Amino acid sequence: MDWAAILYLGVTFGLFAIFVAIVIHTCRDKHKETGEAPKYTMLEDD
Amino acid sequence: MEKPVYNTDIVRSFVHWSLLWGLVAILVGVIVSLQMVEPDLNFPPYLTFGRLRPIHTNAGIYGWGVGVIFATFIYMVQRLCKTPLWSNKLAKFQLWFFNATIIASAITLLLGYTTSKEYHEMEWPIDVMVVILWVVFAVNILMTILKRQEEQMYISLWYMMAALVGVAILYLVNAAALPVSLFKSYSAYAGTNDANVHWWFGHNAVAMALTAPPLAMFYYFLPKTTGVPIYSHRLSIIAFWSLIFMYLWTGAHHLLWTPVPDWVQTLAMAFSVMLIAPSWGSVFNGYLSMNGQWHQMKENYLVKFLIIGLTFYGLQTLQGPMQAIRSFSAFIHYTDWVPAHIHMGTMGWVSMISYASIYYLVPRIYGRELYSVPLANMHFWLTLVGQLVWSISLWVAGVLQAGMWNATNSDGSLTYTFMETMVEMYPYWWARAAGGFIFFLGIIIFIYNLFMTVRKGKDVVAPIVTAAGRN
Amino acid sequence: MWEKKPLLLIALATAAILVGTTITMVLPFAWVNTETDRIASVTPYTPLQQEGRDIYIREGCNNCHTQTIRPLVTEVLRYGDYSKSGEFVYDRPFLWGSKRTGPDLARIGGKYPDAWHYKHMDSPRSMVPKSNMYDYAWLRKSTLDPVMSERKMKVLGFPYTQEQLAQLKGKNELDAVVAYLQKLGSDIAWRKAAEVTIVGELKNPYPDTAHRSMEEWEVIYSEHCAACHGGHLEGEIGPHLDGANYTDEELFSLIFNGIPDGGMPAFSSLGTNKVWKITNFVKYYVQGEDHP
Repeated sequence: MDWAAILYLGVTFGLFAIFVAIVIHTCRDKHKETGEAPKYTMLEDD
Repeated sequence: MEKPVYNTDIVRSFVHWSLLWGLVAILVGVIVSLQMVEPDLNFPPYLTFGRLRPIHTNAGIYGWGVGVIFATFIYMVQRLCKTPLWSNKLAKFQLWFFNATIIASAITLLLGYTTSKEYHEMEWPIDVMVVILWVVFAVNILMTILKRQEEQMYISLWYMMAALVGVAILYLVNAAALPVSLFKSYSAYAGTNDANVHWWFGHNAVAMALTAPPLAMFYYFLPKTTGVPIYSHRLSIIAFWSLIFMYLWTGAHHLLWTPVPDWVQTLAMAFSVMLIAPSWGSVFNGYLSMNGQWHQMKENYLVKFLIIGLTFYGLQTLQGPMQAIRSFSAFIHYTDWVPAHIHMGTMGWVSMISYASIYYLVPRIYGRELYSVPLANMHFWLTLVGQLVWSISLWVAGVLQAGMWNATNSDGSLTYTFMETMVEMYPYWWARAAGGFIFFLGIIIFIYNLFMTVRKGKDVVAPIVTAAGRN
Repeated sequence: MWEKKPLLLIALATAAILVGTTITMVLPFAWVNTETDRIASVTPYTPLQQEGRDIYIREGCNNCHTQTIRPLVTEVLRYGDYSKSGEFVYDRPFLWGSKRTGPDLARIGGKYPDAWHYKHMDSPRSMVPKSNMYDYAWLRKSTLDPVMSERKMKVLGFPYTQEQLAQLKGKNELDAVVAYLQKLGSDIAWRKAAEVTIVGELKNPYPDTAHRSMEEWEVIYSEHCAACHGGHLEGEIGPHLDGANYTDEELFSLIFNGIPDGGMPAFSSLGTNKVWKITNFVKYYVQGEDHP
């Protein structure tokens, strides 16, 4: 494998890791209430 | 807490002007569709298909689409942030500068001052105007968000912020040009580079102006209309990051099989297919929000516009990736299939959501009940039928012409000359013009209904929205 | 984290947008329009050609005509050699287009003589009756501006001579458009390369002319040849044709491969069968005879 291929793989996995991190950060149980709160507050009377 | 006083006057004005430009865009669309079947309807030098078509597209995107963005963003940001608009003066300037920009665009395009780059035809002085306009708008929205009284940020605000940044980057980079005179410039990029930069802009203008903002509107106006929160805020967040990340890779799917480097094309193809996931994340989120509320599809014309609009978004984001695959693109590209695809997005998704947003706004910015719900229902059906006639006729036309272009005889020669394939298009082009006309009738009824609402609508007495749903 | 911090959210969103932008939009500049895809024979536009190009842009011709040929069998057969990156280095802006309401024009240069283009631009439907292209005869009324042209050439950095600028005087906008169209795709010698070598003995499949066949053949002739050679072979843009001057084989080869330097297009894409029919029509047509 040449350096270009390694870099390519690295970038791919790096980006995927960021995506997984965002999903975990957003969906963890601890976050459930605060994560979903805005959808209720936006419904409050204007 | 004292209730903040929101600026609704400016929302009203943007609704008025965006409707006018929407009407112009659709009317010019019907005219150019007739010019395609009847060349004698061209009146050179000004009123030819070549000059009017960019007026149709730009009035649609910048007059109608962006006009509605201005109206709804200013409305939404104040309520989501529970604070008045940062600067009313700036907003007023923005309104007049917006109209000046649209009028200047229309006049210069008629005069033939064009860069020829699709959806970015305006010459450099108007590019400068667009940039000023967008900066003024973005600053006002961002400052309002920064001084908000509600700490949480609803997903609509996310999409709004991404759109503000995205449009700015795309427009600035693609506008780079070497001016010769006030009305003539040459692109800063040449040939294949210019093509690649331009379709990076072209496709992502669709993302940042015609996808993210309508999503912001959808996520706001659907729960406000049904009175039920969206299914999952966290799903909307994951879809948000995926969408804005992946979209920017896909511009070259407009350039498959051209001299643009193969690897750029392949990336565009792969990311286009991947984009189905975040797009359908939003679609599912919308559908699941309707759990237990599907009866509102029958009872509430607003829900009809929103859910059918979302359905067209779903179809659009399946058909788009299909076309972005090399083999299918080889067959279908450059035929009428492609405008049919675009118009499912603009007439089905963007316009439906814009109509719904305006229907929602009108009682709240005028304090009047809608003049006629039957007329609104009629508007819905004319819009739906007009769009379907438009797109289906050209999908058929596209497949037919692509088949004829690719037909070969047993000795390897072509079965049809170009003209033999073109004359087959005429009946479908007539059908398309008819579809456009039906759609045009829809917006006429819409405007009439709004006009009568303002003049004769009953005053709104009860609070518009209760926890149980609409009143 | 960023859920309640708008500035952080904007910064991260911008970063997300810039990843794909950098890789697919910025990075290709390292290869495109460099030595990698350079074609030595490709030259910049002359003042007249560039004026024509600007009129093409002004009139929005790109709304109906593309200028890029894909490396697909039927496309190369129909339009000519597929487009190469190096052919577009002087194109500001690119004019590849996105819709073929009319045919692709990437290889239109040299396909027809100038006279064909003038006649066609004056009134497309006089040559192609069912075309939906409108008339551009009105371009003849406007003249060109050498001062403006010089400024354009300077901005573009193209070489030009005062003589070329002086020649613009007395020319009209249609002259410029025709000059531009004749330049398109003709910088590389693709037409010579695409010429088909006919191997083996040519055999006329319709050696004996019958009046009934002439009627069928005339239809094909009218569609493909009459615009230049006239409905009765009397000649107009192309020469008057007299079948007696050629052998079957000569006529067939001429029609099949065209005359690359003489402005006669090749008709090989019609297939041998149709070309033989045209050959026989020309060969056995008697002046003044009609086959309605």
